[in-house]
Parts: sequence; structure tokens; C-alpha cells
Amino acid sequence: MEEAVYDVFARKRRAEPLRHIGYVDATDDALARVYAWKTYDEENWFEMCVVRRAHIIPVNRIDGPYAARATGRLGRHAVEGR
Amino acid sequence: MNAREFTPEVREALQRLILSLADTKRLLGIRYSDWLLGAPSIESGIATASMSQDEWGHARLLYAMLKDFGVDPVEVEHSRPPAEYCSASCLDEPFADWAGVVAGIVVVDGTLSLALEGFAAGAYDAARRRIPKMLAEEAFHRDFGQAWMRRISEGAEEGRQLLAAAVESMLPDAVTCLLPGDDEAELLAGAGVTVRPADARATLARRLAEPIAALRMEPAADPPLPADWMASRRRPTGEPAGDAVERARGDRNRALFVE
Repeated sequence: MEEAVYDVFARKRRAEPLRHIGYVDATDDALARVYAWKTYDEENWFEMCVVRRAHIIPVNRIDGPYAARATGRLGRHAVEGR
Repeated sequence: MNAREFTPEVREALQRLILSLADTKRLLGIRYSDWLLGAPSIESGIATASMSQDEWGHARLLYAMLKDFGVDPVEVEHSRPPAEYCSASCLDEPFADWAGVVAGIVVVDGTLSLALEGFAAGAYDAARRRIPKMLAEEAFHRDFGQAWMRRISEGAEEGRQLLAAAVESMLPDAVTCLLPGDDEAELLAGAGVTVRPADARATLARRLAEPIAALRMEPAADPPLPADWMASRRRPTGEPAGDAVERARGDRNRALFVE
């Protein structure tokens, strides 16, 4: 079963914006939630979300990590069909 | 209600219930910790480490409730021999493989959480105050176990068979020790401290129906009390492996205790 990269976003207080705090590799959304919560549990987070990196749509750059159709920890720095 | 408001019989049974839950938490933490470095991925190892710490934190909170009964929790945590432990017997030995860890999370941790849910909803004030936070943390254990169980169930046949064997071996012990159907459990339910064993077991059967079906197992029959049941320890005869108890008591660090 192939793992995907999930980016982790969190904020400590309601008034703060979500910020990127790291990533985890997981085979599905359910495990990604658990891995994110358990890996980045050093803070008392108000909110945490995970996003499958492959679901992020790049807007102005095609060479950043979020532009990659990531299938592994480092991702692939290419956008298909551009 | 506080501990003094119960009858002496209920108080004794309540004390044994707390010790059984605390010891099972402590041993479960040990059994998770056996797999911090042997998990299938870094992320699953980190999650297992975190669950191990959760279980020890929960155990500490449960042991602290024993103060209500005039018992020193430090003595209980650090001085008892293995033969006095009241932990579920399916934790006496380490999990054999990762399938065993997953079965332990879903079956043992899941049954333990169900026992705690009933306790938190009962009449004992300390349980009503302290257990809900534990259960919130346990929600991630449940999600982790169920996700891994789905992954293994839908994977290779060998993995499914290993997991089914682990579930089959742990389930009767977990149900018997954590949701016992003995007179003392009925006494506690009658006093409003916990839910009736039959009701709790029915809830457990509903929760486990889907994972058991995914493993192509038959629903488990209600296990009877074993012939060697020890009501005083809420478990059958036997004891956790000595090395696990040495770690639980912190034997090697005894000179460094700061409590």
C-alpha cells in the first residue's frame, strides 16, 4: 500500500492563522490524522488539519514542494499536464 | 459520591476495580513501548510511543484515586511483586508482532476504554472528573488501531491471518478481565459505579462487529469466567512477566526517585 505525503497545519489560538508545521507519510487520511496529532503533540493546539500534498493546487509557482505530485517524502518536483 | 459514601463491600470492590484498570493501563504502556523501534514506519513508531506515554499518564491518574481508600499510590506503583498485579492476563507477555500490537490497540485498549466509559458515567466523583480527558486521548488510539486493522484486513492474506489469530487470542482475556461478569461486577453496577457487565459486553460486540467481519472471523461467544478466576485480582491466575514489572516499578532507577 503506497504512502502519500500529508502536510500538517495548526494554530494555537482561535485568532491565529493556521500555519504549516510539518508533514507525515501515511497510507490513508485516517492514519494521517493520528500520525499528525501524535507527531506534533508538543503544543496544546487549538486546531490541527492535514492536507494530502497531492491535493494542493499550485497557483503561481511550479517548483515548490506544494507543486509536486508527491508520492514520497521528498515528492516529485513536477506538475503533470502543465 | 466520594469513596466514603459507598458501603464497605462496594468500597472494596471499587478499589479492586481501580487497581485493575490502572495495572492494565501500566502494562499496556509497557507492551506498546516494546514496539517503539519495531513499528512499520517512523510515524507509526512515534504514534506508538505517544500512546505508551498516554497509558502511563492514565495509569498514574488511576493509581492516585487509591488515596481515597487510604492507600499510598507510590507504594502500589513501585513495591508490588508480579503476583499482586491485577492487569489483564493477555498483557502478561509481549505482543509477538505488529499484528499483535494492532490487536492490542483495538481489542485490549478498546475494551479498557469501554470499561472506563462506564466508570466515568457512574456515581464515583473522582472517575467522573478524571476519566473524560483520558477518553478524549483514547479516541486517537481507537482511530489508529482501526485504521491499521483496515489496512491489514485489506492487504495480504498472511497479514490478515496473523491479525485474526492475535484478535482471537486476546479477546476472551480482555473481555473476561476488563468486563467481568462476576458477582463483584454486578455489585458495582448495582451501586451505580459502573454499567452492568452484560450491557457493556453487548456494546463491545457492536463496536467490534465490523473489524471482526473484515477479518472474516465469527463473532466471539461471551467468554465464561475461567475456573482459575481470582476475584481479588480481577483476573485468572498467573502474572505479568518479571521484566515488564521491573520496568513498571522502575527498579533500575530506584535510587533516583524524586517522589
